[in-house]
Amino acid sequence: MDHVDVANTFFTILTLLANAAVIVAVVLALGALVSTRMRELGVGVLTTVGPSARLLAWIVATVTTLGSLYYSEIANFVPCRLCWYQRICMYPLAVILLIGLLLRDRRVRWYAAPFVVVGAPLSLYHWLVERVEFFAKSSACSAEAPCTVPWFQELGYVTLAFMALSAFLLIGTLLAADWGAERITESPTETEMSP
Amino acid sequence: MSNTPNRKSRRPPVTSTPASSNRWIVWAVLGVIAVVAVIAVVVVAAGGSSDDGTAAKGKPAKFETAPELTVDGTTLPRFETGSRDTAIGMTAPTIDTVDFSGAPIQAGGATGSPYALVFLAHWCPHCQAEVPRLVDLAQGGKIAGVDVIGVPTGTTDQAPNYPPSSWLAREDWPFPVALDTTKTKGAQAFGLSGYPYFVFVDAQGKVVGRTSGEIEPDQLEGIFQALAKGQTLPLPGAGASSSTR
Repeated sequence: MDHVDVANTFFTILTLLANAAVIVAVVLALGALVSTRMRELGVGVLTTVGPSARLLAWIVATVTTLGSLYYSEIANFVPCRLCWYQRICMYPLAVILLIGLLLRDRRVRWYAAPFVVVGAPLSLYHWLVERVEFFAKSSACSAEAPCTVPWFQELGYVTLAFMALSAFLLIGTLLAADWGAERITESPTETEMSP
Repeated sequence: MSNTPNRKSRRPPVTSTPASSNRWIVWAVLGVIAVVAVIAVVVVAAGGSSDDGTAAKGKPAKFETAPELTVDGTTLPRFETGSRDTAIGMTAPTIDTVDFSGAPIQAGGATGSPYALVFLAHWCPHCQAEVPRLVDLAQGGKIAGVDVIGVPTGTTDQAPNYPPSSWLAREDWPFPVALDTTKTKGAQAFGLSGYPYFVFVDAQGKVVGRTSGEIEPDQLEGIFQALAKGQTLPLPGAGASSSTR
């Protein structure tokens, strides 16, 4: 049994779950704009997930960081230049979010957000470079670690860049949930506002 | 201490209180991760990896990389696109290695006829695009007078389209193959910087041109014709220099 195959399957399933969570969050957010029921449902989800959102975001960042280190240090998949840029954005998240949790500092989401804002487009760009010739802008593969060639591809589209993109999006969604939950808990209810 | 009213009283505190009542969701997520890990082990153990099958099927050759490779002669400088190629006029080094079957093969040096070494990586999409062009030219008799030797290099069983022997067999590769080592010793001797990589050598063993990247069929045909006739090679790119420049 090849441990790389196990890792690929493991992280692919987690990627699909992360995608599902982000899609549900986006549907709820859009639905809340037009439907009262969806809004109530969204508030319910925020109330449930929100208080733990930063902890969940840290778990996602840590699992992603450990996965990244596994692929480079154990599976010997040499990171390309774009991979390194994404690492620069992902690795600090595992540290910053942990410190925020330990200090119970809610502002940590604002410290973490820039890494997500930069990292997600980088991952998307890398994924496109791997898949679309227009973005590759080269007729040759680098002899060192070419950004154009993924080390593996699962289900026809899940590569390391796509996994990173999914992680960034999920972390961003969780940080947004943390912010949304805080706003809900701070908003004066109708009962509180009535004389 | 004064009792000055806090002007930021409406501002939420920056510290949060633990929400232990909702910690079940964290344990649920950790549980899901553990279950996914078990599923991954079971799926792979059952032989049902979700790999998309990009690796080539079929019986592998005896060798996919050279167990040993010796280099004779001076190593060529690394090829850099966009600058004058200082390898032009140098004597090509010779590599002694094996082919897919393990038979000894020598590539490089002076052979008495012009030749091209084509360094290919099985996982490189540009190499995958270039190989059919070379095969079509050979089948059309448009490489007459020039020997072509393929050098599979950068080979790793972790990358797509492995093994190279199956890939080249699938493409009806008609030329001899000289395998490189896993550490690309042969490619480095010829100054490889990217894939695909071409080194054009005249009958006296002098390097007359190098280029990296895909070459369109018409241009490729022109290069081979020029090489056969001892003319300036119409290589692509600014770094595509030849012996007569």
